[in-house]
Amino acid sequence: MNVRPIIKLISYKWSTMVLAAAMILALYGVPAASAVESGPMAQLRVSVDEIIDILKKEELKAPERHNERHELIWEVVYKMFDFYEMAKSSLGKNWKTISTEEQDMFVGLFSSLVKQRYIGKINSYTDQEIVYTKQLIKENRAMVYSLLIDKGTKVPIIYKLKVKQDKWFIYDIKIENVSLVLNYRRDFASVIRKEKFAGLVERITEKLEK
Amino acid sequence: MNRQNSKYFFIGLAAAFFVFSICTASLLAADAGDEQNNVLQVAASTDQQGEPDNDQFEDAWAEEDNWEDETDGSKAIADPLEPVNRIFFHFNDKLYYWVLKPVARGYNAILPEDVRIVVRNFFNNLLAPRSIVNNLLQGKVRKSSEELVRFVLNSTVGIVGLGDFAQDVLELNPTYADTGQTLGYYGLGGIIYIHWPFFGPSNVRDTIGMVGDYYLHPLNYVDIKWEERTAIKVYDQVNRTSLTLGDYELFTETALDPYTAVKDAYQQNRDGKIKEPR
Repeated sequence: MNVRPIIKLISYKWSTMVLAAAMILALYGVPAASAVESGPMAQLRVSVDEIIDILKKEELKAPERHNERHELIWEVVYKMFDFYEMAKSSLGKNWKTISTEEQDMFVGLFSSLVKQRYIGKINSYTDQEIVYTKQLIKENRAMVYSLLIDKGTKVPIIYKLKVKQDKWFIYDIKIENVSLVLNYRRDFASVIRKEKFAGLVERITEKLEK
Repeated sequence: MNRQNSKYFFIGLAAAFFVFSICTASLLAADAGDEQNNVLQVAASTDQQGEPDNDQFEDAWAEEDNWEDETDGSKAIADPLEPVNRIFFHFNDKLYYWVLKPVARGYNAILPEDVRIVVRNFFNNLLAPRSIVNNLLQGKVRKSSEELVRFVLNSTVGIVGLGDFAQDVLELNPTYADTGQTLGYYGLGGIIYIHWPFFGPSNVRDTIGMVGDYYLHPLNYVDIKWEERTAIKVYDQVNRTSLTLGDYELFTETALDPYTAVKDAYQQNRDGKIKEPR
């Protein structure tokens, strides 16, 4: 009896099974494990260090290259935040009253508004130091506590993160107890009360044009 | 007791106080090291529940869950004085752009940053009695004693508060406390929002607190004319502003309704300070 075809078949089957198992692991098991292993604080630190590296680059400090510098920073920042979640949360109960298209448009407007605020702040960076003090993890959410040491004062900054697929995304920042999302929610609510959602869109667009 | 004797008595008292501070400071510094380890442990074993260290952890999450469920503005402070408050907000805004900012910028140009930080340290050191008393009133004995040690050391070794010796060398960080916070600690809410001309955002509770803070500020016990006192306070403000130029502009310019944004930021900041862990 010729066993070779059988061996061939078995070995073929084996390799397929190994391959399939590897793929399943790659799709589900491994990324999840890596997210848990590296942790929110470690992930945040990597991204923040990336931003600081850009800020420290001498050749980008020239005024004519400021826009390029902003875009480089924004590329990193954009990957750190879950802007959909933030925009949704900043509208509160008003989120459900608008159409899906309006929601998508609003996410874009909201992220541009945050960009304006934080790129503006980050521009004044000189040699501030960031210390990460602790991280708290509860299921798929986490809080990372940090201190920004600026001119001898320590500014507490808390990042709130949620895990999505294999990555931790920031969905709120608290600076000196003030939550970015909650602050915008109250700000937006005061506009919506008087001018409805259309008025809010108009006001944000005006802001961004400045 | 004649004059000579009382002089020696006070020098002796100051010396005793000083020695006491050094001893307490070294104890506190050793303690702070332990605390650091605890923090790391909490970070490493976040799943463990029921440990005393986790109280703060649970509080943080409870607060977190709160705001996610919160319907719009349900926790925002009442603002029946809004029309008047808006006028004063507008007034302060103009005061900032037309007076405070140009003055602070000119001042910036004259004095280097290091000197301005030293000046701020000096004024911060004068806030220590306020923090010592209010930490104690809130039962935060440890923070109160830390603040006392800071005050004694910074006023002496730190040369009348010009340097922050306690923080730089002993890692004793300032622990903030004020009278409004103490009232909040015992359950008094802000009641209504008030935006004062010159002083800025406040509420009924914190306005009452300002009276307490006034009596806890050493400057108000110095025998000088009120004009001079005011001038010193204005100088403190100019110096502080010179170190944070740009922050106010950025915040208000990227808010849609700056009045509401400032009101909310004030409220969140104060609530956070009141809920601060021991």
